[in-house]
Amino acid sequence: MKLSDIMGHANLSMYAEVAMVIFLLVFVAVAVRLFLPSRQQDLRDAARLPLEDDASIAAVPRKD
Amino acid sequence: MSATVLPPSGAVASARLESFSYDDDIVRKFLWATFIWGLVGMLVGLWIALQLANPIFNTSLEWLSFGRLRPLHTNAVIFAFAGNAFFCGAYYSTQRLLKARMFSDFLSRFHFWGWQAIIVAAAITLPLGFTQAKEYAELEWPIDIAIAVVWVGFAINFVGTMLRRRERHLYVALWFYIASIVTVAILHIFNNLSMPAGLFKSYSIYAGVQDAFMQWWYGHNAVAFFLTTPFLGLMYYFMPKAADGPVFSYKLSILHFWSLVFLYIWAGPHHLHYTALPEWASTVGMLFSVMLWAPSWGGMINGLLTLRGAWHKVADDPILKFFVLAITAYGMSTFEGPLLSIKSVNSLAHYTDWIIAHVHTGALGWNGFLTFGMVYWLLPRLFQTPVYSKRLMELHFWIASFGILLYVVAIYSAGVTQGLMWRAFDATGRLAYPDFVETVVRLLPMYWLRVAGGSMYIIGMLLFGWNIFMTWRRRPATYVVPVITAPALEKRYVPEVVTTPRPVGVWARFAAAGWHRTWERMPITFTVLTVLAVVVASLFEILPTFLIKSNVPTIASVKPYTPLELAGRDMYIAEGCFNCHSQMIRPFRHETERFGEYSKPGESVYEHPFLWGSRRIGPDLARIGGKYPHLWHVRHFNEPTSITARSIMPAYPHFLTKTIDFEEIQSRVDAMAMLGVPYGDAVNRAPQMAREQATEIAAEIERQGGPSDLADKQIVAMVAYMQRLGMDIKAIPTTVGVRP
Repeated sequence: MKLSDIMGHANLSMYAEVAMVIFLLVFVAVAVRLFLPSRQQDLRDAARLPLEDDASIAAVPRKD
Repeated sequence: MSATVLPPSGAVASARLESFSYDDDIVRKFLWATFIWGLVGMLVGLWIALQLANPIFNTSLEWLSFGRLRPLHTNAVIFAFAGNAFFCGAYYSTQRLLKARMFSDFLSRFHFWGWQAIIVAAAITLPLGFTQAKEYAELEWPIDIAIAVVWVGFAINFVGTMLRRRERHLYVALWFYIASIVTVAILHIFNNLSMPAGLFKSYSIYAGVQDAFMQWWYGHNAVAFFLTTPFLGLMYYFMPKAADGPVFSYKLSILHFWSLVFLYIWAGPHHLHYTALPEWASTVGMLFSVMLWAPSWGGMINGLLTLRGAWHKVADDPILKFFVLAITAYGMSTFEGPLLSIKSVNSLAHYTDWIIAHVHTGALGWNGFLTFGMVYWLLPRLFQTPVYSKRLMELHFWIASFGILLYVVAIYSAGVTQGLMWRAFDATGRLAYPDFVETVVRLLPMYWLRVAGGSMYIIGMLLFGWNIFMTWRRRPATYVVPVITAPALEKRYVPEVVTTPRPVGVWARFAAAGWHRTWERMPITFTVLTVLAVVVASLFEILPTFLIKSNVPTIASVKPYTPLELAGRDMYIAEGCFNCHSQMIRPFRHETERFGEYSKPGESVYEHPFLWGSRRIGPDLARIGGKYPHLWHVRHFNEPTSITARSIMPAYPHFLTKTIDFEEIQSRVDAMAMLGVPYGDAVNRAPQMAREQATEIAAEIERQGGPSDLADKQIVAMVAYMQRLGMDIKAIPTTVGVRP
C-alpha cells in the first residue's frame, strides 16, 4: 500500500477549487477591511512604529 | 514625542513601567557571520565560474570539482550569507518593534552557534559528495534534522518574544518574519523526507514526477520565503529608518503581504514546464507566477516611494543608494520571474544561463545590496562609533553595481545565445549545431565577463569587510547598554473606542467587528492562520499529483535499476553530475532530434530522487544508454577531452582506480525496497548480482580493447548506469515475443 493508493481513495480532487475560493474570499475581506474609514488612524500609527523605538529610548531619563 | 511611550488609551495609564535592555550582542554575532560566510560563498562562486570559463581550473582534486562545489556555492550564499543577514536584521528589529528583549538569550545563542555548525557541516559534507541531489536541499538527513531543531529553537524564541511584547500592534515587518519562519519549517521538513541508507546517504521518499513537484514547490518557495519575505520584512524596518519617514503605504504593505503568501506557494511548477509533469500543474504554476507580478511590484513601489520627499538624500547617503538599488533589482527580477514562467518564454530559457542571470539579479542586487545597506546602517549603532569610511561605502556601492551589471548582462546573453543555438535548424531541416559542445564554447567569452563581474562584486565585499573591521576596531571599551522603560501590556486587551453607537447595516457591523485588528494583536492566532494558509494552499496543489494516479501513467517495461546500476547512480549523485546534465528531454523537435524520444512520466517512477536537472552545461543524458560502446565511456570519464577536444567537463580518472564497495550496495537496495521499489531477489543478494554484472561489463570493456583490471572498479558501475539510461522504453518490442 503506497501513499498514492491511500490518497487515491480519499477522493479529494475538488478541494483545490474550494480552497481557492476560500483564499479569494479571505483576501477580499482583508482588502475591504483595510479601506474602512475607522481603520485609517490605526494604520497611520502602525506605520510609524519603526520610527518610534528611538523615541522610547529618548524618554528614558538620562544622567547627562 | 515623549508621549509616544505611553499607549494612547487612558485605560492603561495605571500600567506599571518595566525596565529592560535589548540584546545587541547576538546582532553583532550574526553581522560577523553574514560577512564571513558571504565572502566564502562568493569565493566558491568565483572558483566554479573559473572552472566553466576554462577547464584548466578543473583540478585533479575530486573534492573541488564543479559538481560538488556548485551546491556549496548556492547553499552558502542562500543559507549562510542571506540567512545570517536575515537573522542579524530580524534580531535587531524584532526586539525594538516589540519593545522587548529576545525571549531567551540561551535560544538566541543556540540559534547562532547551531546555524554556524550546520554551515560548517555543509562546507565539509558537500565537497565530500554527500548529497540528496535536490537543489538547495542537498544536505543529508542528519544535517537536515539539525536544521529543523535549530529552526524550531529560533521559532520558539521569536514567538516567546512576541508573547512578552510591550507594543500591542505587530508591525508589518514582523508578519513577514513570521510567514518566513513557519513556511521555511514546513518546506524544509516535507521536501527532505527521506529513507536513510547509511549515516550520510538517503533516498527521497518521493519518486520521479512527484519528487520533482515536491522539490520545486520547495525550491521556488525557498526563493520566496528565504530570500524574498524575510528581506521585505527587513526593508519595511530599515528603509523607513534610513529614509527617516514612514513607509509609503502601510495599506499596500498589508495587501501585498497577503497576496504574496497566497500566491507564492502555488508558483513552483513553473520550474518544470514541458517536462513530464502533468500539464495542468504546469499551467497553474504559470498563472500564479504571472499574478505574483502584482504583489511583487507592490513591494517594490512601496519601498521606493518611501523615499518620497527624501530623494535628495540619496545623492549623498550611500546607505540609501544601496537600498534603492536593492529594491530596483527586486523589481527587475520579479518582473523577469513571471516573464520566465510563461511557457513559451520558458521553452527558450529553461536549461540555459538565462535562469542563472535571473537569480543573480535577485541575489546580488536585492539580497546583497539590502544586506549591505542594512549592515552599514547598523554599524554605528552596534559598534557605537561612526562608520570608519563613508568613501569606502561609496566605492563599494559603485564597484559592486558595475559588477552586477557585467555579470547579469553577460550571463543573460549567454543564456539567450545557447537557447537559440539549441533550437536552430539549417535550410535542410537538420540541427544547425548538432555538436552540443559548439553551443558551450560559444559562451566562454561571456563566462570570462562573468568572472570579471563577479570579481568586482567580491572586491566590493572586501571593502565591506574592511569597513566593518575598522569600525569594530574603534568600538568603545565597553558597549553602552541603554535601559529602556515601557509599560507592560494589559493581559486582556481593552479596545480604546467603545462608545460608538450600535452599528446599523452589514458593512458597519463588519467594520465594527474589528476582527482583523484583533488578529494583528494576537500573534499566536496570526501565526496559526499563516500556517493554515500555507499548508492548505500547499496541500491542495501537491495532493493531486499524489492522489490522481492517471497523472503518472505507468509503463510496463520500466524496471528498477540493477544493484550495480544503482551503485553507479549513487556515484552520479555524489559527483553532482545533475548540476550540469539534465535527464529530461522536452517534447520539442530540436530536443528529440538531438537527444532522442522525449521523456515520459512513467519512466521515472523508481527515480528516488528525480534527477531531471535544471541546467544543461553538458548534454541531456536521458537517452545516453546504448548510444556509445562501454569503452567510449571509460575513456570519456578518464579524460573527456580525449573524446571531445573542447569539452569543459572535469576528468574523473579516480573512477578507474577506486574500487566499488559491493557490500554497501545491499543497504542501498534495501532502502529502495523499503520505499516500494520492487527489487525482488536483489533484496537478498545485491552484492552478488552486482559482482556478476560488473564482471560482464569489465569483460566487454576488455573485448573492446580497454584496460583489463576493471571488474571491481567504480567505472564499471558508472558505465552500467550510463548504459541503462533511457533503455527501458526501447525494450517494449522485445517483450512482445520473438519473431519467426
